[in-house]
Amino acid sequence: MLNHHPMPEVLADYASGSLSLSHALCVAAHLEHCAHCRQMSDTLVHVGAQLFESQSLQLHGDSIDEGLKQKVFSMLDDETLQLDSAPVSISDQPASKPTSNGKAYKVPRCLSQFIKGSFDSLEWVRVSPSIKIATLCRDKDGSQVALSRVQPGGKMPHHAHTGDELTLVLEGSFSDVDGIYRKGDFILRNSGDRHKPVVTKDAECICLMVLDAPIQFTGFFTRWLNPILRHNHAFG
Amino acid sequence: MTTTAVTKTPQQHTDDLLLVANDRDRDAFSRLFDHYMPLLRAFTLSAHPGSAILADEVAQEVMIKVWRKAHTYKPEFASASTWIFTLARNARIDYLRKNSRHQSDIDPEYLWSEIPAEDGDPFQAALQKRSADVVQAGMSQLPDDQRLALKKVYLEGKTHKEVAEELQLPLGTVKSRVRLALKKLAVSIKR
Ligand SMILES: [Zn+2]
Repeated sequence: MLNHHPMPEVLADYASGSLSLSHALCVAAHLEHCAHCRQMSDTLVHVGAQLFESQSLQLHGDSIDEGLKQKVFSMLDDETLQLDSAPVSISDQPASKPTSNGKAYKVPRCLSQFIKGSFDSLEWVRVSPSIKIATLCRDKDGSQVALSRVQPGGKMPHHAHTGDELTLVLEGSFSDVDGIYRKGDFILRNSGDRHKPVVTKDAECICLMVLDAPIQFTGFFTRWLNPILRHNHAFG
Repeated sequence: MTTTAVTKTPQQHTDDLLLVANDRDRDAFSRLFDHYMPLLRAFTLSAHPGSAILADEVAQEVMIKVWRKAHTYKPEFASASTWIFTLARNARIDYLRKNSRHQSDIDPEYLWSEIPAEDGDPFQAALQKRSADVVQAGMSQLPDDQRLALKKVYLEGKTHKEVAEELQLPLGTVKSRVRLALKKLAVSIKR
């Protein structure tokens, strides 16, 4: 049972399509784990459909050109336009190879565009003895999408950030002063939050992280990490 | 209404969509075209006022998808309007990705699905149908300010932040209006 879900207005932005793609990636990964939010997100689509259906057409006041209708009908016969192929189903995704601890991790469907095969196939950059980071992409709006992989019991570096930070637990679990976060949990932190997450001792923890603005590690010990992360992101 | 002389019921649209899916019925497609084309144009014009050419292009693209993907539509999960709304929303997301707003290396294809998701079962279908009814009944009862906030999010494609800026309201106010509205529409959240 998951305890941490996206707020309703985040799901509404997702259902309406206005959510940025990097945030939508985290929501989509959560939905793969959470039937409750899937249900909610479908209901939110009904809300949109209802608004769509009740649009005031007088507002735009023009009728549909008959020529446009004929054009669409002529395109129906166009054999060169192939039927859309069915989307890849979850079961078509190759399961990743067992890792050293013998577990086969499954890469979420929404991440399959970045991860061909297993998490191990990514270019992991070690940023501390217990932490590795793999950048998936960096968007033009400055947001960064990365995976973090922390050893059992490892401390996440103490960091502050200037924008929103989304975390989706893909494997394992971690905890901070507010509670424990397990596989599938969705965590949204606003700028200014300072938290000290620690991975639980039973297993390593892999998280999807979306940072709206580059994180700034704080504190004497982790200050040196900044240039490495920037380098890593810049070429992600 | 400018093109449809007779107002049709949601069930008629669903029946027409099934005729398109099963029989490739062009008369049924023509009726769907007459009903949805103006709605699809209005949907694009809400987000891009004055862009009549873009509105025609997107509406045309969605109607062709309706024809081609009709076989994937499952009436037990959603009305024709809900299904076509998801096609329109996905077309908007694709457009935004190619043009500024969402500019990104992330491919939206796997992030948004049409209803139903592939794991839909009969129990899920029953839930969906019921929640759609609740939404429909509740929508007309919403206070104007809440309805306006929802319209800006869904039709104009604005984020909560953008709605707050436009209406010159604190972000918290917009969020609470949307939350109150969703609560009335029985969209409950587990915390
Ligand atoms: Zn959830």
